[in-house]
Amino acid sequence: MQQYVNINIDGAIIRAVKGTTVLDTAIEYGICIPHLCHVPFLSDIGACRLCIVEHVVNGHSNITTSCTLNVQESMVIMTNTDRVRKLRHNIAELLVAQAPNSRAIQDIAVRCGVKEVRYPFRNADCVLCGRCVRACSELWKANAKGFVSRGKNRHVDYPFGIRPEFCKQCGACIQLCPMTITPCNGLMKPGEEYLCGQCESQLLTNEQAPGGCVWCKLGEGFACGRYAGSQAK
Amino acid sequence: MSKLNSYRELEHLHQQLQEKRRNFTTTVMVCGGTGCRASSSQTLINALGEELSRQGLDGSVRLCVTGCHGFCEQGPVMIIEPGNMFYCHVAPEDAFEVIYKTVTKGEVIERLLYRDPISGQTLRTLAEVPFYQAQDRQILSQNLTVDPCSIEDYIAIGGYSALAKTLRSMTPEEVIGEISSSVLRGRGGGGFPTGRKWSQCWAAPGDEKYVICNADEGDPGAYMDRCVLEGNPHLVLEGMMIGAWAVGARKGYIYVRKEYPLAVEHSRIAVQQARELGLLGDNVLGSSFCFDVDIARGGGAFVCGESTALMASVEGKVGEPRPKDVHTVVDGLYHKPTTLNNVETWANVPSIILKGASWFSAKGSRGSKGTKILALTGRIKNTGLVEVEMGTPIRTVVYDIGGGALNGKAVKAVQIGGPSGGCLPAGKFDLPIDFDVLAEAGSMVGSGGMVVMDESSCMVDVTKYFLNFLQDESCGKCVPCRLGVDRMLEIITAITEGRGKPEQLDLLEELADTIAQTSLCGLGKTAPNPMLTTLRYFRTEYEAHINERKCPAGVCKGLITYWIDPDKCNGCGVCLQGCPHKAITGKKQQSHVIDPKLCQKCGICRSECKFDAVQVI
Repeated sequence: MQQYVNINIDGAIIRAVKGTTVLDTAIEYGICIPHLCHVPFLSDIGACRLCIVEHVVNGHSNITTSCTLNVQESMVIMTNTDRVRKLRHNIAELLVAQAPNSRAIQDIAVRCGVKEVRYPFRNADCVLCGRCVRACSELWKANAKGFVSRGKNRHVDYPFGIRPEFCKQCGACIQLCPMTITPCNGLMKPGEEYLCGQCESQLLTNEQAPGGCVWCKLGEGFACGRYAGSQAK
Repeated sequence: MSKLNSYRELEHLHQQLQEKRRNFTTTVMVCGGTGCRASSSQTLINALGEELSRQGLDGSVRLCVTGCHGFCEQGPVMIIEPGNMFYCHVAPEDAFEVIYKTVTKGEVIERLLYRDPISGQTLRTLAEVPFYQAQDRQILSQNLTVDPCSIEDYIAIGGYSALAKTLRSMTPEEVIGEISSSVLRGRGGGGFPTGRKWSQCWAAPGDEKYVICNADEGDPGAYMDRCVLEGNPHLVLEGMMIGAWAVGARKGYIYVRKEYPLAVEHSRIAVQQARELGLLGDNVLGSSFCFDVDIARGGGAFVCGESTALMASVEGKVGEPRPKDVHTVVDGLYHKPTTLNNVETWANVPSIILKGASWFSAKGSRGSKGTKILALTGRIKNTGLVEVEMGTPIRTVVYDIGGGALNGKAVKAVQIGGPSGGCLPAGKFDLPIDFDVLAEAGSMVGSGGMVVMDESSCMVDVTKYFLNFLQDESCGKCVPCRLGVDRMLEIITAITEGRGKPEQLDLLEELADTIAQTSLCGLGKTAPNPMLTTLRYFRTEYEAHINERKCPAGVCKGLITYWIDPDKCNGCGVCLQGCPHKAITGKKQQSHVIDPKLCQKCGICRSECKFDAVQVI
């Protein structure tokens, strides 16, 4: 039988299934916490750090990722405070400066309120969210690709850089990749990257409002937890 | 040696070994640590051994190859007992003289004595040397008398009696209570109370528990853990055994870097010897305690010093940290409760058990008790390993023990705690070495590396070095650490090359705050510290780089030009010959000129010039 715990998210008391994470529960109840590396049917690694929330313990609030935080009885979570919004904005800014040519990253930047980017654009092909690696190893048990090297040189590759026989080219990795979604105005030329900000109307909410999910189109492109969850059902 | 089956047998062995010691009239203790080995102490040791057998003194003189003595600057060093005679810079050719004159005749060899650079006097004994005088060597003093490859040496000085005391008369609760009331705090960096960690692990559900010794020391300029593990592995092992008894673990790991071959070798030998004596294995000393230790070698990733990454590495996985929403004392190695402590923390345990918690907590400041080992390096006269009481002012360490900066320059700052710590300016040298006080000042005690910098160091350049290190060593898993540190480095590089903008300083601060709050592990959370402290205490230097396009210390190549002062130059031509880029022109006996277009700013001409004519502007 399923056991339940009561948790407090943004002041609302919510009945959550024991053993689930805060992010899953929030998505279930329509509370929007931006996220990138989280995919409902894969394990969580806490790599993108977009889903950070404030977890209040003994009057002291910790910043932690909601995708790796399991629900506990009477825990207090705040998903949309000034502090969280500012940190999320800065992380989204780092991401979009790294990969401005992806619709998914652009959408996340819009959702996190990034209007102007203070770093030079880099046009990377990968933001190392690890969706493809986990899909390959966890869904298909193929382990055909993984992370190679560390730090600045970290990248996703086949073993020794050669596609192994046990990769069946199923395409699950491509399906989940946030970088494969081209922006609506097409690819930007190097040196001419900018955020047009036209999607901001999609949010249907101003920044001060609690982050309720309104099934905005922003999350659809890269299968945000809510869309992916509803498809799975 | 046969297995020890009871406490009585350990006691008997201890007495037997002490009896054997009395046969020796003299002991020659030569440092065999990595520092002295680099100055060829191994050849010296071989020469001394040959000399002893040639002069027929094998039976009466004991040649003891010890671990690090701490005064690496003066290596190879040796001490001759009785007499506490201290010789430094001993060459293999001196072996005959040392044995013939000092050991047999009791004469002093003046030229090998330590000369105090301040008073100019030669000092005979170890106790007189100022470097040692100002220290409080609780752990390191054992390094001087013990051969790390011999368990007999360790038992002869009373080793493993703390283990016997624990097993015979203390329950796990009592051990944890003793450690808790001693207020021992983790020496690896964080300063977490060890007693609390142990009691949480003890209370965690599960039969299978682990203890781990973290000897993955990767800070630039820090080698405390190496020297303790190299010099006295049995002390660490004994600490681990007591910890394992307290938390209920049956298996332990020593995680040591592969780059420390001597530490790996010595800890392997120590484990093997302890197994042979029955101090590791089933029913230790006839008690119900069963425990074994394995050595796990690290592959040289800095991030593997982080607890979860270290555990992943021990398990054979990629050394990457994972979220610590559930602490490792509950969900650690193989998802079992695990107590992980630093080498120095483990080394403190046996003496707390033997001498009592009150003995330990009598030393130190209000929040930090006991002693701390520091690795004093950088532009300082006496580099080496220093152990001081907690709460000692930084000034004492830098000036009294370290002897101040080299070449009569003024000390500008000291970088404490490695890449996670921060730079403190000379104005803050009255701060005590204390976990809480240093954290408040923006730095941290960390593992204890102290890099001293003088006027010739540019703080922006130092920051660039640390950010470069961190960017290299970051595992790259989470966004703030991988991209954030990279962007910080990008901005700092721009500043050092004269492309900085004033508003970037605010951006740096904001970015640093984001990285510190949102990173996945401790490496990322502390990564901005070097940048934040230099910005806090040396903001004028940053501003000079940005606004005036000048590097006050004359280090950043993009912002300096070399220039020959015509009044000082006498045209000797040394710089002209030395310049690899042929940028200097001038006739003999006439003042020379540097062509700024050809000059690559290597600084060779400046170091060659005997008249101080080459200047940096």
